[in-house]
Amino acid sequence: MVSQIGSLALSIASGLILSTFFFLIYYRLTKDKIFIDLSERSIIATCLSIFLATICLLNELLISNFNLQYVAQYTSYETPMFYKVTSLWAGQAGSLLFWTFIMSVYTLIYIFFTLNKIKVLKYHSYFIFAIIFGFFLFLSNFIANPFEPVSPDIIVQNGNGLNPLLQNVTMAIHPPILYLGFIGTTILFVMTLSALIVNEINYQWVKSIRSWALIVWTFLSAGIILGGYWAYQELGWGGYWAWDPVENSSLMPWFLLTAFIHSSIIQEKRGLLKTWNVLLASLTYIFVILGTFITRSGIISSVHSFTAESLGPLFFVFLCTLILLTVFWFFKHYHMLVSEEKIKSFTSREGGFLYNNLILVTMCFIVLWGTLFPIISEAWNGEKIHIGQNYFNQLNVPIGIFLLFLMGIGPLLSWKKTSSSTLISNFKIPMISSFVTGSLYMVFTDEFRFYPFVTLLGIIFTLTAISIEFKKSFDSHYSKDPSFFRAILNLLSQNRHKNGGYIVHIGITLLFVGFVGRAFEKETEFVLKPDEQFYFANYNFRLNSVTTEQRNNHLAAISNMDVTDESNNYITTLYPEKRIYFYRDPDTEKHQPHSELDIYSTMNKDIYSVFSSYDSDTKEAYFKIMINPLVNWVWIGGIMIVLGSLFAFWPSSSRRD
Amino acid sequence: MNKVYTSLILVFGLVVLWTIYLTNVKEDKNLTVRYYTIKELTMEEKSINKIKIGGLVKPNSIDINESNRLEVWFYVYQGEDSLKVYYNGTRPDLFKDDAEIVISGKFENNLITATELQTKCASRYEGDLKNINSI
Repeated sequence: MVSQIGSLALSIASGLILSTFFFLIYYRLTKDKIFIDLSERSIIATCLSIFLATICLLNELLISNFNLQYVAQYTSYETPMFYKVTSLWAGQAGSLLFWTFIMSVYTLIYIFFTLNKIKVLKYHSYFIFAIIFGFFLFLSNFIANPFEPVSPDIIVQNGNGLNPLLQNVTMAIHPPILYLGFIGTTILFVMTLSALIVNEINYQWVKSIRSWALIVWTFLSAGIILGGYWAYQELGWGGYWAWDPVENSSLMPWFLLTAFIHSSIIQEKRGLLKTWNVLLASLTYIFVILGTFITRSGIISSVHSFTAESLGPLFFVFLCTLILLTVFWFFKHYHMLVSEEKIKSFTSREGGFLYNNLILVTMCFIVLWGTLFPIISEAWNGEKIHIGQNYFNQLNVPIGIFLLFLMGIGPLLSWKKTSSSTLISNFKIPMISSFVTGSLYMVFTDEFRFYPFVTLLGIIFTLTAISIEFKKSFDSHYSKDPSFFRAILNLLSQNRHKNGGYIVHIGITLLFVGFVGRAFEKETEFVLKPDEQFYFANYNFRLNSVTTEQRNNHLAAISNMDVTDESNNYITTLYPEKRIYFYRDPDTEKHQPHSELDIYSTMNKDIYSVFSSYDSDTKEAYFKIMINPLVNWVWIGGIMIVLGSLFAFWPSSSRRD
Repeated sequence: MNKVYTSLILVFGLVVLWTIYLTNVKEDKNLTVRYYTIKELTMEEKSINKIKIGGLVKPNSIDINESNRLEVWFYVYQGEDSLKVYYNGTRPDLFKDDAEIVISGKFENNLITATELQTKCASRYEGDLKNINSI
């Protein structure tokens, strides 16, 4: 019953979108404002029907209605309640509905808050929404319908259950957060294209789209970092980023959006770079769809892509439509965007923002090329090429280091032009401090490596430069009102965009601290029987015991391993597990082994342990151990990035900078 | 065009050209690896330092060294063709008969010495309903 309602709600939503088109065309013909209101209402009604459909699917997942194919595929009676909810986005059909659901939430907010202020964008915004909703509803209704029943000749006793890898809290929250980022770019696209069509790329547009961009950016960044955190905690290869096509497709829009957030500051402050901003904002969404196309088409093999239904051609058509729309209106109204004034000085704040854009767009290109080159090459001469991590690291690491320095240089430059005396006085302290740190590093290191060295210089330079900026604003507040706490409070409550931005920059600098650690990773594999030990990287690993335990949905072999340092001080006991899911199934084919790893984590380094295999006859246990320096700084940086950007867009009554 | 914009575009263009150049200079730069088919390799007489190959694990061909269980020999197959593989290291959880795998490594004397062995596991599995118990 509920599933029929859900299915019906999806059909009604498509009908409503179709009627939106009609209302908009009527408006065009009659110029009667009533049709604008009608189309607005039908879009709102579409969103509400999508809410209803989503609630229905959620209900079916929770009550385990295995008459639905989707429910049977992704859940079972044993699936815990929490993961029944998260299986809403575990598969193709569900995640598409979930996508449309989030899009509806954003759309309603956009209609009630943004369009109510910028009414001239209404007509075109609704039109573009109708196209986008139309596409996604078409998919949900006809191609990947989550309410599809199982074929009538089978009666499903119990469902498949959710993949154990996904039964993890981070994995439960990573997709929705990332989706909030991805789908939020829809609003940027709609707002930009509609403003481009009606020639309203003005101050009001940039002011309003910047708030949207910051919110979307926060979700996107948090989603990407959570994905890395999940991979690190769960997958057992000891890293958090592997330049996989799916990861790349989330990083490309991030680069573009980050570039947009910076370049739109110049438009807000000085009215420049309109053409460029329009391109960046539209491209961000186009890259999100490109990424979705890559993930769901199966044209690029990736360890985590969807493959079953082929949505590839449809997404390709949609992608082309978006590109054509953008290109057409961009060139048609190009002359309206070009500003007379140009940025003339290399050493100005504007110049700094331009370098930032150059770097981010270049990195985006490198990632795009690395992701698409295998397809291009295969189409070109039939040679299937794999582009490995070497490519991405060799090209992006040096460019990333430029970006790191630039985060410190930018704030030291003045608007329009920086005089050479200001340059010298501003750069003095950061230069000296990074020089001192660099010399200390040279003296104390026993193993000099170029990239870590330069990155260290960049980190110190940037942190010093940002601290100086904070100190300056503190001093100016303090001179007006000599109370330490009030000065801090005033500092925090004013200039939120700017200060929030600096906090984000500190977070990114801390990410680089973590990245440096990757250069010093160590890894080994060994076999131990109980009471044997293994010495590696100044640590001693002693296996005490391996016990087996039957748990609710898996069988676990739990190792108990003491770690001591070279002078025999106890450090920790690690309990990595080897689990077998679905072990009660008589068919051994269905048993799914899984290594649950254990990490001993400190600010300095992580000891990362994987229990890779166990022979119960000989009592031999196989381990993989990694020493990963500074990984925690990546997560701390990530948290600062999110806090900083929340701080930047948190509404405040005081004047914003 | 003023000089700031021109120089930025110039830098971008140069990086783009450099990137395209790098990916087209083959294996010596260590950036790209070619995928081979088993058929190509069986006809190859020379050894190849870096290869990548995708295929399935031939059923009943997995041979684990009893004295060092990290060492394994097995056959990878694509349709009719198959090749012997040696791997020393932690095997992925889903490594078993007929598992879809991707191997990176070296090819020499009709043997692939794998340096990396990955199973293709969808992080969300799109298993069809054949897995479901039915009455």
